[in-house]
Amino acid sequence: MDDHTVTAVDSDLARLSHAVAAMGDLAVAQVRAAVDVFSRHDLPAAAKVVRGDDALDIQDAAIERSAVRFIALRQPVADDLRRPIAAMKIAMQLERCGDLAKNIGKRVARMDTAGGEAQVADIVALGQLAAERLSAVVNAYRQGDAQAAYTVWLKDTEIDERHDSVVQGIVSGMINKPGSVGDGTHLLFIAKNLERIGDHATNIAELVHYQITGQDLAESPRPKL
Amino acid sequence: MNAQLDNPPETAILEIAPETVKLAIKDLNFFYSGKQALFDINVSFAANGVTALIGPSGCGKSTLLRVLNRMYGLYPGQKATGQVLLDGEDVLSPRVNVAALRARIGMVFQKPTPFPMSIYDNVAYGVRLYETLSKADMAIRVEDSLRRAALWDEVKDKLQQSGLGLSGGQQQRLCVARGIAVKPEVLLLDEPASALDPISTARLEETIAELKADYTIVIVTHNMGQAARLSDHTGFMYLGKLIEFGETEQLFTNPVTSRARDYITGRFG
Repeated sequence: MDDHTVTAVDSDLARLSHAVAAMGDLAVAQVRAAVDVFSRHDLPAAAKVVRGDDALDIQDAAIERSAVRFIALRQPVADDLRRPIAAMKIAMQLERCGDLAKNIGKRVARMDTAGGEAQVADIVALGQLAAERLSAVVNAYRQGDAQAAYTVWLKDTEIDERHDSVVQGIVSGMINKPGSVGDGTHLLFIAKNLERIGDHATNIAELVHYQITGQDLAESPRPKL
Repeated sequence: MNAQLDNPPETAILEIAPETVKLAIKDLNFFYSGKQALFDINVSFAANGVTALIGPSGCGKSTLLRVLNRMYGLYPGQKATGQVLLDGEDVLSPRVNVAALRARIGMVFQKPTPFPMSIYDNVAYGVRLYETLSKADMAIRVEDSLRRAALWDEVKDKLQQSGLGLSGGQQQRLCVARGIAVKPEVLLLDEPASALDPISTARLEETIAELKADYTIVIVTHNMGQAARLSDHTGFMYLGKLIEFGETEQLFTNPVTSRARDYITGRFG
Protein backbone atom coordinates (compact mmCIF):
# COMPACT_ATOMS: atom_id res chain seq x y z
CA MET A 1 0.00 0.00 0.00
CA ASP A 2 1.18 3.53 -0.71
CA ASP A 3 2.33 5.81 2.07
CA HIS A 4 -0.32 7.76 3.87
CA THR A 5 -0.51 11.47 3.12
CA VAL A 6 -0.40 12.05 6.87
CA THR A 7 2.79 10.22 7.81
CA ALA A 8 1.73 9.94 11.47
CA VAL A 9 -0.99 7.48 10.37
CA ASP A 10 1.60 5.10 8.95
CA SER A 11 3.88 5.46 11.96
CA ASP A 12 0.96 4.93 14.39
CA LEU A 13 -0.07 1.79 12.51
CA ALA A 14 3.52 0.53 12.30
CA ARG A 15 3.95 1.01 16.06
CA LEU A 16 0.71 -0.81 16.73
CA SER A 17 1.67 -3.77 14.52
CA HIS A 18 5.09 -3.88 16.13
CA ALA A 19 3.56 -3.97 19.60
CA VAL A 20 1.19 -6.80 18.64
CA ALA A 21 3.97 -8.85 17.05
CA ALA A 22 6.19 -8.33 20.11
CA MET A 23 3.33 -9.38 22.37
CA GLY A 24 2.87 -12.42 20.14
CA ASP A 25 6.52 -13.39 20.59
CA LEU A 26 6.17 -13.08 24.33
CA ALA A 27 3.00 -15.20 24.35
CA VAL A 28 4.76 -17.90 22.31
CA ALA A 29 7.70 -17.78 24.73
CA GLN A 30 5.34 -18.12 27.71
CA VAL A 31 3.60 -21.14 26.15
CA ARG A 32 6.95 -22.78 25.35
CA ALA A 33 8.22 -22.05 28.86
CA ALA A 34 5.03 -23.51 30.39
CA VAL A 35 5.46 -26.72 28.39
CA ASP A 36 9.12 -26.85 29.36
CA VAL A 37 8.57 -26.38 33.11
CA PHE A 38 5.84 -29.01 32.92
CA SER A 39 8.14 -31.53 31.25
CA ARG A 40 10.89 -30.97 33.81
CA HIS A 41 8.54 -30.45 36.77
CA ASP A 42 10.68 -27.41 37.54
CA LEU A 43 8.90 -25.54 40.33
CA PRO A 44 11.02 -22.36 40.46
CA ALA A 45 10.74 -21.99 36.67
CA ALA A 46 6.96 -22.57 36.94
CA ALA A 47 6.72 -19.66 39.36
CA LYS A 48 8.59 -17.55 36.83
CA VAL A 49 6.08 -18.46 34.09
CA VAL A 50 3.26 -17.40 36.44
CA ARG A 51 4.91 -14.04 37.09
CA GLY A 52 5.75 -13.61 33.40
CA ASP A 53 2.07 -13.31 32.53
CA ASP A 54 1.83 -9.80 34.00
CA ALA A 55 3.81 -8.42 31.06
CA LEU A 56 1.22 -9.77 28.61
CA ASP A 57 -1.63 -8.18 30.55
CA ILE A 58 0.18 -4.83 30.46
CA GLN A 59 0.88 -5.13 26.74
CA ASP A 60 -2.73 -6.05 25.99
CA ALA A 61 -3.97 -2.96 27.82
CA ALA A 62 -1.41 -0.75 26.06
CA ILE A 63 -2.38 -2.09 22.61
CA GLU A 64 -6.05 -1.50 23.34
CA ARG A 65 -5.32 2.08 24.43
CA SER A 66 -3.27 2.77 21.30
CA ALA A 67 -5.90 1.27 19.01
CA VAL A 68 -8.76 3.21 20.60
CA ARG A 69 -6.70 6.40 20.43
CA PHE A 70 -5.88 5.78 16.76
CA ILE A 71 -9.55 5.19 15.89
CA ALA A 72 -10.69 8.26 17.81
CA LEU A 73 -8.09 10.62 16.43
CA ARG A 74 -7.61 9.35 12.88
CA GLN A 75 -11.12 8.10 12.08
CA PRO A 76 -9.75 5.40 9.81
CA VAL A 77 -11.73 3.47 7.20
CA ALA A 78 -11.24 0.27 5.20
CA ASP A 79 -7.76 -1.31 5.63
CA ASP A 80 -6.74 1.40 8.08
CA LEU A 81 -9.75 0.60 10.26
CA ARG A 82 -9.26 -3.14 10.12
CA ARG A 83 -5.72 -2.85 11.45
CA PRO A 84 -6.47 -1.34 14.88
CA ILE A 85 -9.57 -3.54 15.22
CA ALA A 86 -7.53 -6.66 14.43
CA ALA A 87 -4.70 -5.48 16.71
CA MET A 88 -7.07 -5.13 19.65
CA LYS A 89 -8.71 -8.49 19.09
CA ILE A 90 -5.43 -10.32 18.46
CA ALA A 91 -3.97 -8.82 21.64
CA MET A 92 -6.97 -10.13 23.53
CA GLN A 93 -6.42 -13.63 22.13
CA LEU A 94 -2.73 -13.47 23.05
CA GLU A 95 -3.61 -12.33 26.54
CA ARG A 96 -5.83 -15.41 26.91
CA CYS A 97 -2.96 -17.63 25.70
CA GLY A 98 -0.87 -16.02 28.43
CA ASP A 99 -3.53 -16.81 31.04
CA LEU A 100 -3.58 -20.45 29.92
CA ALA A 101 0.22 -20.70 30.08
CA LYS A 102 0.13 -19.12 33.55
CA ASN A 103 -2.48 -21.66 34.60
CA ILE A 104 -0.18 -24.48 33.45
CA GLY A 105 2.59 -22.96 35.58
CA LYS A 106 0.28 -22.92 38.62
CA ARG A 107 -0.77 -26.53 38.08
CA VAL A 108 2.84 -27.71 37.74
CA ALA A 109 3.49 -26.17 41.16
CA ARG A 110 0.58 -28.10 42.66
CA MET A 111 1.41 -31.50 41.15
CA ASP A 112 3.24 -34.08 43.22
CA THR A 113 5.15 -35.50 40.26
CA ALA A 114 5.58 -34.69 36.60
CA GLY A 115 3.18 -37.53 35.71
CA GLY A 116 3.74 -40.77 33.85
CA GLU A 117 6.46 -40.73 31.21
CA ALA A 118 4.18 -41.50 28.28
CA GLN A 119 1.60 -38.97 29.37
CA VAL A 120 4.22 -36.27 29.78
CA ALA A 121 5.61 -36.99 26.33
CA ASP A 122 2.11 -36.79 24.82
CA ILE A 123 1.32 -33.49 26.53
CA VAL A 124 4.69 -32.01 25.61
CA ALA A 125 4.10 -32.96 21.96
CA LEU A 126 0.64 -31.36 22.13
CA GLY A 127 2.15 -28.25 23.73
CA GLN A 128 4.88 -28.01 21.13
CA LEU A 129 2.29 -28.25 18.38
CA ALA A 130 0.16 -25.51 19.97
CA ALA A 131 3.23 -23.27 20.43
CA GLU A 132 4.24 -23.92 16.85
CA ARG A 133 0.80 -22.89 15.57
CA LEU A 134 0.81 -19.78 17.70
CA SER A 135 4.29 -18.91 16.50
CA ALA A 136 3.29 -19.48 12.86
CA VAL A 137 0.29 -17.19 13.15
CA VAL A 138 2.29 -14.49 14.93
CA ASN A 139 4.76 -14.64 12.03
CA ALA A 140 1.90 -14.49 9.52
CA TYR A 141 0.75 -11.34 11.30
CA ARG A 142 4.22 -9.83 11.29
CA GLN A 143 4.69 -10.55 7.57
CA GLY A 144 1.13 -9.56 6.63
CA ASP A 145 0.76 -13.00 5.04
CA ALA A 146 -2.90 -13.97 4.62
CA GLN A 147 -1.98 -17.27 2.97
CA ALA A 148 0.17 -18.33 5.93
CA ALA A 149 -2.67 -17.42 8.31
CA TYR A 150 -5.06 -19.46 6.18
CA THR A 151 -2.70 -22.45 6.40
CA VAL A 152 -2.72 -22.29 10.22
CA TRP A 153 -6.50 -21.99 10.17
CA LEU A 154 -6.83 -25.12 8.01
CA LYS A 155 -4.85 -27.20 10.52
CA ASP A 156 -7.06 -26.42 13.51
CA THR A 157 -8.50 -29.93 13.79
CA GLU A 158 -5.08 -31.55 14.18
CA ILE A 159 -4.65 -30.14 17.68
CA ASP A 160 -8.19 -31.13 18.63
CA GLU A 161 -7.60 -34.69 17.55
CA ARG A 162 -4.29 -34.93 19.37
CA HIS A 163 -5.94 -33.49 22.49
CA ASP A 164 -8.61 -36.17 22.39
CA SER A 165 -6.01 -38.93 22.28
CA VAL A 166 -3.98 -37.31 25.08
CA VAL A 167 -7.12 -37.17 27.24
CA GLN A 168 -7.76 -40.87 26.62
CA GLY A 169 -4.22 -41.64 27.77
CA ILE A 170 -4.60 -39.61 30.95
CA VAL A 171 -7.97 -41.15 31.78
CA SER A 172 -6.59 -44.68 31.25
CA GLY A 173 -3.73 -43.78 33.57
CA MET A 174 -6.15 -42.65 36.26
CA ILE A 175 -8.19 -45.83 35.90
CA ASN A 176 -5.11 -48.01 36.21
CA LYS A 177 -3.67 -46.05 39.09
CA PRO A 178 -6.43 -44.50 41.24
CA GLY A 179 -3.82 -42.79 43.43
CA SER A 180 -2.88 -40.60 40.49
CA VAL A 181 -6.30 -38.99 40.12
CA GLY A 182 -5.14 -35.74 41.74
CA ASP A 183 -2.23 -35.24 39.35
CA GLY A 184 -4.25 -36.76 36.51
CA THR A 185 -6.86 -34.02 36.89
CA HIS A 186 -4.13 -31.40 36.58
CA LEU A 187 -2.89 -33.19 33.46
CA LEU A 188 -6.39 -33.05 31.95
CA PHE A 189 -6.55 -29.32 32.54
CA ILE A 190 -3.05 -28.77 31.18
CA ALA A 191 -3.97 -30.66 28.02
CA LYS A 192 -7.18 -28.68 27.75
CA ASN A 193 -5.27 -25.41 28.16
CA LEU A 194 -2.95 -26.37 25.33
CA GLU A 195 -5.89 -27.28 23.13
CA ARG A 196 -7.42 -23.87 23.92
CA ILE A 197 -4.16 -22.18 22.93
CA GLY A 198 -4.55 -23.92 19.57
CA ASP A 199 -8.07 -22.50 19.31
CA HIS A 200 -6.74 -19.01 20.02
CA ALA A 201 -4.11 -19.47 17.29
CA THR A 202 -6.97 -20.33 14.92
CA ASN A 203 -8.90 -17.24 16.01
CA ILE A 204 -5.80 -15.12 15.43
CA ALA A 205 -5.44 -16.69 11.97
CA GLU A 206 -8.98 -15.52 11.19
CA LEU A 207 -8.17 -12.02 12.43
CA VAL A 208 -4.94 -11.80 10.42
CA HIS A 209 -6.80 -12.93 7.32
CA TYR A 210 -9.59 -10.43 7.98
CA GLN A 211 -7.16 -7.60 8.54
CA ILE A 212 -5.41 -8.23 5.26
CA THR A 213 -8.29 -9.20 2.97
CA GLY A 214 -11.40 -7.82 4.66
CA GLN A 215 -12.90 -11.30 4.33
CA ASP A 216 -14.14 -13.41 7.19
CA LEU A 217 -12.65 -16.91 7.19
CA ALA A 218 -15.10 -18.07 9.83
CA GLU A 219 -17.83 -17.77 7.19
CA SER A 220 -16.10 -20.07 4.73
CA PRO A 221 -16.28 -23.84 5.05
CA ARG A 222 -13.10 -25.49 6.23
CA PRO A 223 -12.04 -28.03 3.61
CA LYS A 224 -11.35 -31.52 4.91
CA LEU A 225 -7.62 -32.23 5.01
CA MET B 1 -8.50 -16.99 -2.02
CA ASN B 2 -6.70 -13.68 -2.21
CA ALA B 3 -7.35 -12.99 -5.86
CA GLN B 4 -8.82 -9.66 -4.86
CA LEU B 5 -5.60 -8.65 -3.14
CA ASP B 6 -3.24 -9.97 -5.74
CA ASN B 7 -5.02 -8.54 -8.73
CA PRO B 8 -7.52 -5.82 -7.90
CA PRO B 9 -9.60 -4.61 -10.86
CA GLU B 10 -9.06 -1.12 -12.29
CA THR B 11 -12.73 -0.31 -11.98
CA ALA B 12 -15.67 -1.85 -10.15
CA ILE B 13 -19.16 -0.56 -10.87
CA LEU B 14 -22.11 -2.13 -9.08
CA GLU B 15 -25.24 -2.47 -11.17
CA ILE B 16 -28.26 -1.70 -9.05
CA ALA B 17 -31.53 -3.58 -9.49
CA PRO B 18 -33.33 -2.23 -12.60
CA GLU B 19 -36.60 -1.67 -10.74
CA THR B 20 -34.89 0.71 -8.29
CA VAL B 21 -33.21 2.90 -10.92
CA LYS B 22 -34.23 6.56 -11.05
CA LEU B 23 -31.33 8.01 -13.02
CA ALA B 24 -29.39 5.91 -15.49
CA ILE B 25 -26.23 7.33 -17.02
CA LYS B 26 -25.08 5.64 -20.19
CA ASP B 27 -21.82 6.18 -22.08
CA LEU B 28 -21.59 9.72 -20.84
CA ASN B 29 -18.69 11.83 -22.08
CA PHE B 30 -18.37 15.52 -21.37
CA PHE B 31 -16.23 18.16 -23.04
CA TYR B 32 -15.53 21.81 -22.42
CA SER B 33 -13.29 24.10 -24.44
CA GLY B 34 -12.10 21.07 -26.40
CA LYS B 35 -11.02 19.23 -23.25
CA GLN B 36 -12.66 16.04 -22.06
CA ALA B 37 -13.79 16.17 -18.44
CA LEU B 38 -15.84 12.97 -18.15
CA PHE B 39 -15.02 9.63 -19.75
CA ASP B 40 -17.52 6.86 -20.50
CA ILE B 41 -19.56 7.10 -17.34
CA ASN B 42 -21.98 4.19 -16.99
CA VAL B 43 -23.85 3.99 -13.72
CA SER B 44 -27.35 4.10 -12.26
CA PHE B 45 -28.62 5.88 -9.18
CA ALA B 46 -31.41 4.44 -7.06
CA ALA B 47 -34.74 6.07 -6.32
CA ASN B 48 -35.36 7.02 -2.68
CA GLY B 49 -31.71 6.64 -1.89
CA VAL B 50 -28.73 8.84 -1.33
CA THR B 51 -25.80 8.45 -3.67
CA ALA B 52 -22.55 10.16 -2.71
CA LEU B 53 -19.88 11.10 -5.22
CA ILE B 54 -16.39 11.40 -3.84
CA GLY B 55 -12.96 11.97 -5.33
CA PRO B 56 -10.10 14.45 -5.35
CA SER B 57 -10.60 18.01 -6.61
CA GLY B 58 -10.94 18.12 -10.36
CA CYS B 59 -12.03 14.48 -10.67
CA GLY B 60 -15.29 15.46 -12.37
CA LYS B 61 -17.81 14.80 -9.62
CA SER B 62 -19.31 18.32 -9.69
CA THR B 63 -19.22 18.25 -13.48
CA LEU B 64 -21.18 15.01 -13.44
CA LEU B 65 -23.72 16.59 -11.10
CA ARG B 66 -24.07 19.59 -13.42
CA VAL B 67 -24.69 17.33 -16.40
CA LEU B 68 -27.58 15.63 -14.62
CA ASN B 69 -29.79 18.72 -14.76
CA ARG B 70 -28.03 20.29 -17.74
CA MET B 71 -26.61 23.09 -15.69
CA TYR B 72 -23.63 22.90 -18.04
CA GLY B 73 -25.85 24.30 -20.79
CA LEU B 74 -25.50 27.69 -19.13
CA TYR B 75 -21.91 27.86 -20.28
CA PRO B 76 -20.80 28.12 -23.92
CA GLY B 77 -18.56 25.51 -25.50
CA GLN B 78 -19.67 22.64 -23.28
CA LYS B 79 -20.96 19.42 -24.72
CA ALA B 80 -22.22 16.14 -23.33
CA THR B 81 -22.59 12.92 -25.32
CA GLY B 82 -24.34 9.75 -24.21
CA GLN B 83 -27.54 9.51 -22.24
CA VAL B 84 -28.86 10.50 -18.83
CA LEU B 85 -32.16 8.71 -18.42
CA LEU B 86 -34.59 10.06 -15.85
CA ASP B 87 -37.26 7.37 -15.54
CA GLY B 88 -36.16 6.23 -18.99
CA GLU B 89 -36.33 9.66 -20.62
CA ASP B 90 -33.08 11.15 -21.91
CA VAL B 91 -32.56 14.54 -20.25
CA LEU B 92 -29.74 15.35 -22.67
CA SER B 93 -32.14 15.27 -25.63
CA PRO B 94 -32.49 18.72 -27.26
CA ARG B 95 -36.27 18.28 -27.11
CA VAL B 96 -36.27 18.43 -23.32
CA ASN B 97 -37.57 21.65 -21.78
CA VAL B 98 -34.65 22.61 -19.57
CA ALA B 99 -36.69 24.77 -17.18
CA ALA B 100 -39.16 21.92 -16.62
CA LEU B 101 -36.24 19.51 -16.22
CA ARG B 102 -34.72 21.64 -13.46
CA ALA B 103 -38.02 21.58 -11.62
CA ARG B 104 -37.76 17.78 -11.68
CA ILE B 105 -34.07 17.76 -10.81
CA GLY B 106 -33.30 20.44 -8.23
CA MET B 107 -29.87 21.55 -7.10
CA VAL B 108 -28.29 23.04 -3.99
CA PHE B 109 -24.85 24.56 -4.34
CA GLN B 110 -21.73 24.69 -2.23
CA LYS B 111 -22.25 28.23 -1.05
CA PRO B 112 -25.71 29.22 0.18
CA THR B 113 -27.39 31.30 -2.51
CA PRO B 114 -30.49 32.86 -0.99
CA PHE B 115 -32.26 35.42 -3.17
CA PRO B 116 -32.27 39.00 -1.85
CA MET B 117 -35.87 38.73 -0.73
CA SER B 118 -37.86 37.54 2.27
CA ILE B 119 -37.50 34.04 3.66
CA TYR B 120 -41.05 33.31 2.54
CA ASP B 121 -40.46 34.56 -1.01
CA ASN B 122 -37.21 32.66 -1.29
CA VAL B 123 -39.20 29.45 -0.95
CA ALA B 124 -42.25 30.61 -2.92
CA TYR B 125 -40.29 32.08 -5.84
CA GLY B 126 -39.59 28.86 -7.68
CA VAL B 127 -43.09 27.51 -7.04
CA ARG B 128 -44.62 30.59 -8.69
CA LEU B 129 -42.64 29.83 -11.86
CA TYR B 130 -44.25 26.44 -12.29
CA GLU B 131 -47.55 26.49 -10.46
CA THR B 132 -50.40 28.83 -9.67
CA LEU B 133 -51.32 28.27 -6.06
CA SER B 134 -53.83 30.11 -3.90
CA LYS B 135 -52.36 32.19 -1.11
CA ALA B 136 -53.40 29.57 1.45
CA ASP B 137 -51.98 26.70 -0.58
CA MET B 138 -48.75 28.60 -1.08
CA ALA B 139 -48.47 29.22 2.66
CA ILE B 140 -48.90 25.49 3.23
CA ARG B 141 -46.26 24.69 0.58
CA VAL B 142 -43.78 27.16 2.09
CA GLU B 143 -44.32 25.85 5.62
CA ASP B 144 -44.07 22.23 4.51
CA SER B 145 -40.84 22.91 2.61
CA LEU B 146 -39.31 24.78 5.53
CA ARG B 147 -40.32 21.99 7.90
CA ARG B 148 -38.79 19.35 5.65
CA ALA B 149 -35.60 21.39 5.47
CA ALA B 150 -35.60 21.48 9.30
CA LEU B 151 -35.70 25.28 9.30
CA TRP B 152 -39.33 26.05 10.17
CA ASP B 153 -38.93 26.35 13.92
CA GLU B 154 -36.10 28.81 13.52
CA VAL B 155 -37.81 31.11 11.00
CA LYS B 156 -41.57 30.77 11.53
CA ASP B 157 -41.76 34.11 13.36
CA LYS B 158 -39.72 36.04 10.82
CA LEU B 159 -40.84 34.81 7.43
CA GLN B 160 -40.96 38.32 6.03
CA GLN B 161 -37.37 39.10 7.01
CA SER B 162 -34.63 38.88 4.40
CA GLY B 163 -33.16 35.45 3.70
CA LEU B 164 -29.75 37.12 3.67
CA GLY B 165 -30.05 37.78 7.41
CA LEU B 166 -29.91 34.08 8.29
CA SER B 167 -26.76 32.29 9.41
CA GLY B 168 -24.81 30.27 6.84
CA GLY B 169 -26.31 27.00 7.99
CA GLN B 170 -29.82 28.44 7.96
CA GLN B 171 -29.26 29.93 4.50
CA GLN B 172 -28.19 26.52 3.22
CA ARG B 173 -31.29 24.86 4.66
CA LEU B 174 -33.34 27.70 3.12
CA CYS B 175 -31.83 26.73 -0.24
CA VAL B 176 -32.81 23.11 0.41
CA ALA B 177 -36.35 24.30 1.25
CA ARG B 178 -36.41 26.33 -1.97
CA GLY B 179 -35.17 23.31 -3.90
CA ILE B 180 -37.81 20.95 -2.55
CA ALA B 181 -40.68 23.50 -2.70
CA VAL B 182 -41.07 22.86 -6.43
CA LYS B 183 -41.45 19.14 -5.61
CA PRO B 184 -38.54 17.81 -7.62
CA GLU B 185 -37.95 14.09 -8.04
CA VAL B 186 -34.20 14.34 -7.77
CA LEU B 187 -32.16 16.61 -5.54
CA LEU B 188 -28.54 17.32 -6.44
CA LEU B 189 -26.37 18.64 -3.64
CA ASP B 190 -22.93 20.02 -4.46
CA GLU B 191 -20.84 20.18 -1.28
CA PRO B 192 -23.84 21.50 0.64
CA ALA B 193 -22.16 21.43 4.06
CA SER B 194 -18.67 22.62 3.21
CA ALA B 195 -19.31 26.10 4.62
CA LEU B 196 -21.27 24.95 7.67
CA ASP B 197 -20.28 24.40 11.30
CA PRO B 198 -20.69 20.88 12.76
CA ILE B 199 -24.14 21.51 14.27
CA SER B 200 -25.52 23.02 11.06
CA THR B 201 -23.92 20.16 9.15
CA ALA B 202 -25.60 17.63 11.43
CA ARG B 203 -28.98 19.36 10.94
CA LEU B 204 -28.52 19.38 7.17
CA GLU B 205 -27.53 15.71 7.21
CA GLU B 206 -30.61 14.91 9.26
CA THR B 207 -32.68 16.80 6.69
CA ILE B 208 -31.14 14.84 3.83
CA ALA B 209 -31.75 11.55 5.65
CA GLU B 210 -35.42 12.46 6.02
CA LEU B 211 -35.81 13.70 2.45
CA LYS B 212 -34.56 10.38 1.16
CA ALA B 213 -37.99 8.87 1.72
CA ASP B 214 -39.41 11.00 -1.10
CA TYR B 215 -36.49 11.97 -3.29
CA THR B 216 -33.55 10.58 -5.14
CA ILE B 217 -30.56 12.42 -3.77
CA VAL B 218 -27.10 12.75 -5.27
CA ILE B 219 -24.53 14.49 -3.10
CA VAL B 220 -21.02 15.57 -3.99
CA THR B 221 -18.84 15.81 -0.93
CA HIS B 222 -15.21 16.11 0.06
CA ASN B 223 -16.12 14.97 3.54
CA MET B 224 -15.62 11.24 3.56
CA GLY B 225 -17.33 10.86 6.91
CA GLN B 226 -20.36 12.63 5.52
CA ALA B 227 -20.50 10.31 2.52
CA ALA B 228 -20.22 7.31 4.85
CA ARG B 229 -22.91 8.61 7.22
CA LEU B 230 -25.41 9.76 4.65
CA SER B 231 -25.33 7.65 1.57
CA ASP B 232 -26.59 4.25 0.51
CA HIS B 233 -24.29 4.10 -2.49
CA THR B 234 -20.99 5.80 -3.11
CA GLY B 235 -19.16 6.51 -6.34
CA PHE B 236 -15.45 7.26 -6.37
CA MET B 237 -14.22 9.33 -9.32
CA TYR B 238 -10.71 10.04 -10.51
CA LEU B 239 -9.51 12.02 -13.54
CA GLY B 240 -12.98 12.16 -15.06
CA LYS B 241 -13.66 8.44 -14.70
CA LEU B 242 -15.91 6.57 -12.35
CA ILE B 243 -13.50 4.12 -10.74
CA GLU B 244 -15.67 2.40 -8.16
CA PHE B 245 -19.37 2.49 -7.44
CA GLY B 246 -20.99 0.32 -4.82
CA GLU B 247 -22.78 0.08 -1.55
CA THR B 248 -21.39 2.65 0.84
CA GLU B 249 -20.75 0.09 3.54
CA GLN B 250 -18.70 -2.04 1.15
CA LEU B 251 -16.76 0.92 -0.22
CA PHE B 252 -15.80 2.20 3.20
CA THR B 253 -14.99 -1.13 4.81
CA ASN B 254 -13.50 -3.12 1.96
CA PRO B 255 -13.16 -1.22 -1.31
CA VAL B 256 -12.50 -3.34 -4.38
CA THR B 257 -10.15 -1.08 -6.36
CA SER B 258 -6.82 0.02 -4.98
CA ARG B 259 -7.42 3.62 -6.12
CA ALA B 260 -10.61 3.90 -4.07
CA ARG B 261 -8.89 2.28 -1.11
CA ASP B 262 -5.92 4.62 -1.34
CA TYR B 263 -8.20 7.64 -1.60
CA ILE B 264 -10.52 6.87 1.31
CA THR B 265 -7.65 5.90 3.58
CA GLY B 266 -5.72 9.03 2.64
CA ARG B 267 -2.94 7.39 0.65
CA PHE B 268 -3.45 9.31 -2.51
CA GLY B 269 -0.53 11.02 -4.18
